[in-house]
Amino acid sequence: MAIITKEKTTARAAPLSDKSLIGWLRLNLFNSVFNTILTVVTVYIIYITVEGLLVWGVIDAVWIADTRRACFAISLDGACWAGVVSWLDNIFYGRYPREELWRINLGGLLLVIWMAPLWLPRVKAKVTIGLTTVFLYPFLAGYLFAGGDKGLFMQIMISGAILCLVGNTLHAFIGVFTGKGLPEFLIALLGKKAAPEKSQRNILLGILAVCFAVVYMLQMGASFETVSWTKWGGLFLTLVISGIGIASALPGGIILALGRRSKLPIIRVLSTAFIELFRSVPLITVLFMATTMFPLFMPEGFVLNKLTQVIIAVCLFNACYMAETVRAGLQAIPQGQYEGAHTIGLGYWGTMGFIIMPQALKHMIPNIVGSFIGLLKDTTLVSIIGLFDILGMLRSISRDAPWLGLHKEPLVFGAMLFFLICFAMSKYSRRLEVKLSTDHKH
Amino acid sequence: MAVTDSLKKTARVKSIEKFDFFHDERVRSVFYQLLTAAAVGWVAWYLFTATSQNLEVRGMKSGFAFLGVEAGFGTDFKLIDYTIGTGTYGDIFLIGILNTLYISALAILASTILGFSVGVLRLSSNWLVSKVALTFVEIFRNTPLLIQVIFWYTGIFSLLPKVKKSFDLSGGAEVVLLNNRGLYMPWPVPGDLLWMTGLTLILAIVGAIGYRWWTKMRQNKTGQIAPVFLPFAALVIIFPGVVFFMSGSPLSWDIPVLEGFNFVGGATLPPAFLALFVALTIYHAAHLAETVRAGILSVNKGQQDAARAIGLRENRVMSLVVIPQAMPAIVPPMISLWMNVVKNSSLAIAIGYPDLVSVFMQTSLNQVGHAIEIVGMTMAFYMFVSLTISGLLNIYNKRVQLVVR
Repeated sequence: MAIITKEKTTARAAPLSDKSLIGWLRLNLFNSVFNTILTVVTVYIIYITVEGLLVWGVIDAVWIADTRRACFAISLDGACWAGVVSWLDNIFYGRYPREELWRINLGGLLLVIWMAPLWLPRVKAKVTIGLTTVFLYPFLAGYLFAGGDKGLFMQIMISGAILCLVGNTLHAFIGVFTGKGLPEFLIALLGKKAAPEKSQRNILLGILAVCFAVVYMLQMGASFETVSWTKWGGLFLTLVISGIGIASALPGGIILALGRRSKLPIIRVLSTAFIELFRSVPLITVLFMATTMFPLFMPEGFVLNKLTQVIIAVCLFNACYMAETVRAGLQAIPQGQYEGAHTIGLGYWGTMGFIIMPQALKHMIPNIVGSFIGLLKDTTLVSIIGLFDILGMLRSISRDAPWLGLHKEPLVFGAMLFFLICFAMSKYSRRLEVKLSTDHKH
Repeated sequence: MAVTDSLKKTARVKSIEKFDFFHDERVRSVFYQLLTAAAVGWVAWYLFTATSQNLEVRGMKSGFAFLGVEAGFGTDFKLIDYTIGTGTYGDIFLIGILNTLYISALAILASTILGFSVGVLRLSSNWLVSKVALTFVEIFRNTPLLIQVIFWYTGIFSLLPKVKKSFDLSGGAEVVLLNNRGLYMPWPVPGDLLWMTGLTLILAIVGAIGYRWWTKMRQNKTGQIAPVFLPFAALVIIFPGVVFFMSGSPLSWDIPVLEGFNFVGGATLPPAFLALFVALTIYHAAHLAETVRAGILSVNKGQQDAARAIGLRENRVMSLVVIPQAMPAIVPPMISLWMNVVKNSSLAIAIGYPDLVSVFMQTSLNQVGHAIEIVGMTMAFYMFVSLTISGLLNIYNKRVQLVVR
C-alpha cells in the first residue's frame, strides 16, 4: 500500500545550529526551564564573585605605599599589594645576598639552555641530554648557588658539566640545521668519514680530553663567594628542594618498584615494607623524623644541616610515591612483552631496560607529572619546620614591622603563583600524553 | 612414574650441561637476596649502635615511661576530660588521636558530599555550570593545601568580628554564633527517658530495612514496585517522634549565652578547627569531583542509550544503570582520598589546631625528648589507620570483582 500525497509538504524550520550565537546559547544554556533557572542563578553567582574580587584586588587595591597604614589611608577595603611588591625579591630569592642574585638567575638560565634541546624536533640523543641534566647539572648549579672552595671532585664534575653544556648546545644547533649529531658532524668536519670506526672513536675521545683539559684550566681561575644555605629562601629554595626531589624520585621509584615486583622474596618484602611505611604517613611526620631522629643516627661530631635533612626526607618520601606510579605503569604492560623479550634472549635487565621500561614510562607520563605537581605543592610543608621557602617568606611579610598583619594578599599571591606553575604543567602533560600515544585509534 | 621420568630427564640435562656456579639462576637469586639482607641488616645494626651511643653520650633516657608523666600543658580543644596538672602525656596522645579522627571524619563526610555534587555539575549539560565547576576544581587542585589552610585561618576565620559583634547564623535567634573565637552552637542535653526514643528509633530502622528487603523480594518475584521512600520516612520519623513526645520531650538544649567577654555553654568549634575543616573539605572535594567525573564517563555511552531505549526515566538511568557501573571506578580512588584527608589533617600544626602531630610530635617532643618513641608512635597510628582503610578497600574490591565478570 502506498500513500501518495498531492499537496507539497511545507518545509520544516532549519534545525537549531550551534554555529550561530543564539543557537549555541539556546542549546547549551537555555534548553529547558530548569537549565534556564540554573543559568540565571549561576550568572548571578559569577557576577557577585567576580565583582567582589575585582573591587578588592584591582579597583580598590593599593599598589604603591610604604606601610600598611599608608595602604589603609588610601583605601580601607582594597587589597594592599604594595606589601607584596616591596617583598618581591624576598619572595623569589629569600635572604640571598642581593649583589649575588645573578648567580641564581644564571643557574636558572643554564637549566633552560641545557634542557631546551629536548623540545627541538631534529635533535638526536635526547635521552642522553636528559640524563646529563639529571646527573651533571646539579653539580654546576650547586656550586653556583653555594659557592666556596671547590674540592678536586667538584672541580672535575663542574668541568664535566660545563663541557657537557657547551657540547649540548653545539649539538642542538647542528641538529637543528643539519639533522646530524655532534660526533658525526665533527668527523665530517675533519674529513675522517672513511676512517674505521675505532680510529673515529679515538679521535673523538682525543677532542673530548683536550676540551676537558681546557675547561678544567679555565674553571680553576673562577671562584664564587660562599653563600650559606641559611640565606637560601623563597621560591628559589622551594624549586631547589622540589628539583632535587624530582630528580631523585624517578630513579629511586623505579628501583623500589622493580624491587616490589621482584621474584626474590626478601627483596620484595623489604621494598614493599619500605614503600608502604612512607606512603601511609603524612609528609610532615617524615620531616619531623628527619629533623629529630637523623641527628641521633649520625656518628658523633658529624652534623647534618637542616636543609640536607629535609632534602633526604623529601627524596625518600617521593621515591615511595613514585614507586607506586611506576608499578602501575609496569602492570599496564601485557605479559606477552616479557615473553617476547625472553624469546629473543634478553636477560632481566635487558628486558626491563629495552622493552618494558620505555613502554611503561610512556604510559606513566601523566601520572609522573601529577606526582611532580604534588611534590611541588608539598614542598611548602618545609616552612613548618622552619625553612624559609616561599610560604615561609610569604608568612614573614605579616611579621615585618611596616606590614604587620598583612596575611591575605601574600597568600593570594603565592596561591596564584603555584596555580600558574601547576596548571601549566598539568595542561602540558595532557598534550604530551596525546602526542606520545601510539594507541591505535579508529 | 612420571616423577622418576622427570628426575631422569633433569639428571641427563645436568650431565650434559656443566653446572656453572656463577651463572646459575638459583645461585644468583640466593646471592642477591643474601646481599640485600646483609646490607639492610648492616644499616639497621649501624643505626641501632649509633643511636644508642648518641643517647648514652647525651644522657637521654629511652622507653615509654614518659607516657605516665604529667604533661603540664593543655589544649584548647579536646574530646575527653583533661585537666592541666594531672593529665599525662598518654592523655595528650589520646587527645591528639581523637582530634585527628574527629576532624578527619567530618571533613571526609563533607568533602564526599561536596565532591559528588561538583563532579555531577562538571557533567551538566549546561555549559556555564560545567565551566564554573571546572574553575572550582582547577583552582583548588592546583594550589598547595597548606596555603589554603593558612589562608582560611589568617585571612578569614581570624578576621571575623569580635564576640560582641558576632554573626548570627540562626537568623536573629542568637543560638548559632560565629565570631573570631569560633563557632558557638547549642548542644543537646539528654534527659532521663531519652533511651526510649533511641530504642524506638533503632527498632524503626530495623523495621524499615526489613520492609525494604521485603519489597525487593516482591519486586523480583512479581515485578511490582512498591513505594520505598515515604513508608521509610514515616517509620523512621513518626514512631520515634510520637514516643519522644509521649515520654515528655526528654531533651533540652544547652544554648551559648554571652557572659562578660565570651559565650558560655553550648558547643564551641575554635577558628583553627573551622579553617582546617573548610580547607580540607574544599581541597579534597575538588580532587574527588574529578574522580567522580572520570568514573561516570568511564561507563560506556551505549549503556545509557540502551537504558533509555527500554524506557527508563532519566533519573533511573542514572541510579540503576550508570552509577552502579561507575562505582567500581570511583570507590578505590575515593577511599585513597579519604586516607589523604586523614594524613593531610596533620597540617593542623600550621594553624594550631591540636591534632596528633601538633600536640604530640611537636609540643610533647619538645618538652620530653624521646624522639624515637614519639615519632614511632605517631607513625604507627597513621599506619594503623592506613592499613585499616586499605583493608576495607581490598574487601570492597573483592566484592566488586565477583559481580563484574
